Amino acid sequence: MSFETSTNNGNNRPERRYYDRSKCDDLHISRTDMNMLIMNYLVTEGFKEAALKFQQEAGLQEPALCSSLDERIMIREAVQNGRIPEAISMVNALHPELLDNDRYLYFHLQQLQLLELIRGGRAEEALAFASATLAEAGANDRNALTELERSLALLAFPDPHTSPFADLLLPSHSQKIASELNAAILKMENQEYTNPKLCSLLRMILWSQSELDKHGVKYPKMTDLANATIEQPK
Amino acid sequence: MQQLTIFMDIESSRSYIDELYSPNQEKIMDALVTLKNSVIGSNRQKSSVIEQGIVPRLLQLMTDDCLDPNIRLEATITIGSLAKGTPENVASLVDQGTTIVLVELLKIVPTGTRLAEACLCALRSIFQQPPAPISALPADMRLLTRLTQIAREGSPTARACVVRILSIWCSGPIEQEALCAAGACAAVAALLASRGFSSPPLARALPALDLLAAMCFENANVSQVALNTRFGDKTIPELLTTLVSRDKPLAIAMGAARCLTFIHRAGALTADDTRVVFGALPCLARLCTKDMPEDIRATAAETLAYLAEVDTSLQRLAAISNHLMSSLADIVNCPSAAAKQGAFKCFASLGANDEDIRKRIIETHGLMVHVVNGMNNPEPSVRLAAVRCLHSLSRSVQQLRTTFQDHSVWRPLMQLLNDSPGTELLTVGSSTLCNLLLEFSPAKEPMLDQGAVEMLCNLTKRPEAALRLNGIWALMNMAFQAEQKVKQRILCCLGTEQMFRLLGDGDTRVIMKTLGLLRNLLSTRHHIDAIMAEYSSQVMQAVIVVLEGSYPAEVKEQALCILGNIGDGEKAKDLIMANEDVLRKLVDYLAHPESKLQEAALFVAGNLVWRGEAGAAARQARLADLGVLRALKLLRARHDAHHLHEKVKTALAQFNDFT
Repeated sequence: MSFETSTNNGNNRPERRYYDRSKCDDLHISRTDMNMLIMNYLVTEGFKEAALKFQQEAGLQEPALCSSLDERIMIREAVQNGRIPEAISMVNALHPELLDNDRYLYFHLQQLQLLELIRGGRAEEALAFASATLAEAGANDRNALTELERSLALLAFPDPHTSPFADLLLPSHSQKIASELNAAILKMENQEYTNPKLCSLLRMILWSQSELDKHGVKYPKMTDLANATIEQPK
Repeated sequence: MQQLTIFMDIESSRSYIDELYSPNQEKIMDALVTLKNSVIGSNRQKSSVIEQGIVPRLLQLMTDDCLDPNIRLEATITIGSLAKGTPENVASLVDQGTTIVLVELLKIVPTGTRLAEACLCALRSIFQQPPAPISALPADMRLLTRLTQIAREGSPTARACVVRILSIWCSGPIEQEALCAAGACAAVAALLASRGFSSPPLARALPALDLLAAMCFENANVSQVALNTRFGDKTIPELLTTLVSRDKPLAIAMGAARCLTFIHRAGALTADDTRVVFGALPCLARLCTKDMPEDIRATAAETLAYLAEVDTSLQRLAAISNHLMSSLADIVNCPSAAAKQGAFKCFASLGANDEDIRKRIIETHGLMVHVVNGMNNPEPSVRLAAVRCLHSLSRSVQQLRTTFQDHSVWRPLMQLLNDSPGTELLTVGSSTLCNLLLEFSPAKEPMLDQGAVEMLCNLTKRPEAALRLNGIWALMNMAFQAEQKVKQRILCCLGTEQMFRLLGDGDTRVIMKTLGLLRNLLSTRHHIDAIMAEYSSQVMQAVIVVLEGSYPAEVKEQALCILGNIGDGEKAKDLIMANEDVLRKLVDYLAHPESKLQEAALFVAGNLVWRGEAGAAARQARLADLGVLRALKLLRARHDAHHLHEKVKTALAQFNDFT
């Protein structure tokens, strides 16, 4: 690939100014590489059955399933289904130091519990819980305090789901916390990559593109990551 | 089950705490798990259960080997969680003997077990809360060997815990030697190695680097051992050199550079060793640059200051490019005290010996304003570092005459010195003052009002030789070509008694500078006369004490020079002439085997016989009587006094009536 911005070097042949996928080139991306990336994604994110099936179908080597894959799956499930005390108990059994070391994460889990109570309409219990448990984290961390306030503000609305803070009640929020917890567990196990490597790839694309944009280069840009849509330069 | 309840308040927690004392092991287990889950993440809960007196029971459960191992494990884990609470929580644990229990357990529990790992985690948490209970871990060879074995072979977590604990525990030569003997160097090497070009896992490598640094600090023996310790085919220095490269995480590079620095300063690597010059030094310079995080920059600057502190070649190398200077100037501007302190110390080291570097330090960045501000900083460590910087820069005569005049640095310096400073600040501050006083101009007279003379005189009374020396040296500089009122003030404040004491000081340098002070006081004719008018007997006595005592030659030389100065005074001459004892000594010294003493005696004689002065004839007669003339003639005849011949001839020429 060449992203030349200056004029050509005098050759008569027009410069290939951008990557033309229709032409065969010397860039070879192996199937094995791609399979490993997918395997890594499945294992990191805890899709155990899919990982095993994929391993079979793709004929891969025994994957380096981290020992905690089963636990991480159960923990993630518990978090996303609002069974927070259970999740906390499992985390503490697996890595007793984790939540003590990361109080902000602990706060997020407690916050999910609070949101469960609010979602269930148990306002009094929610307030009691907040003052008994969450207030401690809020006192020590400014960000936690803000998030606590937002959570409690939900109680001021007759229908929390239509309030400005309704995003906290969506499944996407508990999924976010579940991923946070997952990454923390992987980090605790000295795994080098706590995010799937696919994530790093995508970040690399975004960074490279932003660098090129900074320098005013024209190039085929991937505008939609999910669909890998590439737009030719104008 | 209780652990699924949403929250525990004080009342309900009582119930499960009681179950900890149950005879039923299952109930104990349930209670422990509930307890554990309630305290993890909440300092409030930790404080609450500690207050309820849970710790002794937990310690009991940990150590009872008749119990289910899982109970012992959960109890240990719970203690570990309590140790991650507030400083008060940890203090309470330590007071109740937790550290000792953990250490005892580590001695007997099999090393690969989860229980051992939990002990180590708890111990690490306790040690990470200052003040670490260092005395609870004895320098016991069996225990230490066990620990270093774990550091080599244990689980990742166990290894990380052990090195972190030991890095904090290693606080002095005893611990350094003990760890070295127990094989800690080999364990560290194992933790620093990695496959291919990747970095060793941070969680283990960082504490390992800290441990290595702690072991090598100012310990030549351990540093030498570290030099030769291998893992696989790589020695520790080789491993460290790999780790200082650009592609390694910053904290690792910083830790590795620090180790190399300490190993060099302890004497195991020379200043021109490639691992220092091309390894540690450029890495530290790189870690000072503007795009680095502030805490890394602060540590890098401080480490670089230590690296280059005494070696001029390293100073020159570090200062070779301007980028380090500008990086340091930027670090001085950073808000944290650690950063300012590191930068000032680094400037102090770089400018310690080389005039060119000093010039660049001051010129490039107008550092002086920062130095003055630094001396007024609320943090004592920053103030000390700023004074160190000033001290290095004050070694430049040119700067003394120019920049330092402009910035009147002496004012904040005097303030610091008058403000009950610690010994370190007093030493470096008074050294700086000494240098500043070399250019004592009228602009500095307000210093006198600020009590400079009194402060310096007080310094001469201190038990520390360095401080006495600085005090008297500064007074000597102050007296150089000073006005009479300044000289009077010095004499008056110091007092002749103190001066005599200083002339008997155990440190020869102090005696030399005291005599130097006297010499400076007794310069300029009418000063000499004025001072001798008041203090003649004490001065003469001082001179005689030195000439008669068993002092080294250079000290006696000073005394003779003083005599010579007195001999220059109009009326003061007579004081010498009146003292037969002194005159006889003069004759002796003219014939002394030591050349510098001959010369000094000649100087005295020369002044006394000087024809142009009133009463010369009488003096010459007297001196001839006592044998001075003959001594001079003998001196002229001596082959080894060749270089003095001109002066001898001049002196003899004064005796024109007698030759």
